[in-house]
Amino acid sequence: MERSRVNIAVGIFVILGMVALGYLSVKLGQVSFLGGRGYPVTVDFPSVGGLKAGSSVEIAGVEIGRVESIGLADYQARVTLRVQSGIKLQEDAIASIKTKGLIGEKYIRISPGGSEKIIPPNGKIREVEAPVDFEELLSKYIFGKV
Amino acid sequence: MARFALALATALLLIIAPLGRVWAGAPTDQLRAQIDRAVKLLEDPELKKEGRQRDRRAAVRQVANDIFDFSETARRSLARHWAARTQAERDEFVQLFSDLLERSYISKIELYGGEKIRFVGESIDADGAIVRTRLVTKQGTEIPIDYKMHLRGDRWLVYDVLIEGVSLIANYRTQFNKIITTSSFQELVKKMKTKQEEFLQEEKRTSQR
Repeated sequence: MERSRVNIAVGIFVILGMVALGYLSVKLGQVSFLGGRGYPVTVDFPSVGGLKAGSSVEIAGVEIGRVESIGLADYQARVTLRVQSGIKLQEDAIASIKTKGLIGEKYIRISPGGSEKIIPPNGKIREVEAPVDFEELLSKYIFGKV
Repeated sequence: MARFALALATALLLIIAPLGRVWAGAPTDQLRAQIDRAVKLLEDPELKKEGRQRDRRAAVRQVANDIFDFSETARRSLARHWAARTQAERDEFVQLFSDLLERSYISKIELYGGEKIRFVGESIDADGAIVRTRLVTKQGTEIPIDYKMHLRGDRWLVYDVLIEGVSLIANYRTQFNKIITTSSFQELVKKMKTKQEEFLQEEKRTSQR
């Protein structure tokens, strides 16, 4: 009797631990269930240089979505974003890849436009700015002069 | 017989519909024509003469007006603040904005010294297009310049320029938004007006010298 009670206590403890672990990995890994909330929008960039799935999408510094996936389409990077359902993106909104700080992680900054046309779910942001490649810029202006 | 007529009509429609695109001409061709025009003006020895700076600048601005859609650039730069403006305010802003662009870029264009422009490619997507070019300096450095164009009537007009991937509209949009949210639209217009007046006075002084 005494023995089985200990066993049950240990069992409950282990299960609780596993639930906590599961919760932690979902939280940290930013996994979204059921395809996540919000709607998908695609953006084509000439280069994404360092952007990853899970990177944040911001307007005015506030997170409004995340990068869902990055693939190659016609030798360009096709980025699929998942944007929170309450957020409307105008057809002339500009998506730029920015760096947090000087060498921080990459994120997508959207500067909202003024058009009356709103990008529908599965729509596309047409106006983009690729990340500025500082190394390339530097080498261009250092070694460019022959 | 009716079916035949319908088929013929559909066939004709299918032939004519893409022709609209062909009449408009490729965006690259239209852009190239205007850039060639501008380069010719800049290299014209007659216009390079002393005292003709004003004519030269006016001629270049004429070319710019033919290929740039300044009102679209202004609208996109103001973004969500555009909707709240009256028609008169919009007209005034477009004027001030094109003056600003002229001040900052057309005056720089006068420094042109035989740089080459290479067309790398274009991609058309419905009524929008990107024309990719490289500005090759005399040292051989290539600076990527992309023109974003859209179809207006039968002409392709430039509304945004990306230099090294940095968008002109995004740049002004951030600045305008900052000024409007921290003060007001009127303040922005006032600022742009004073800048323009200062520039005109400066120009008068240099031409008198």
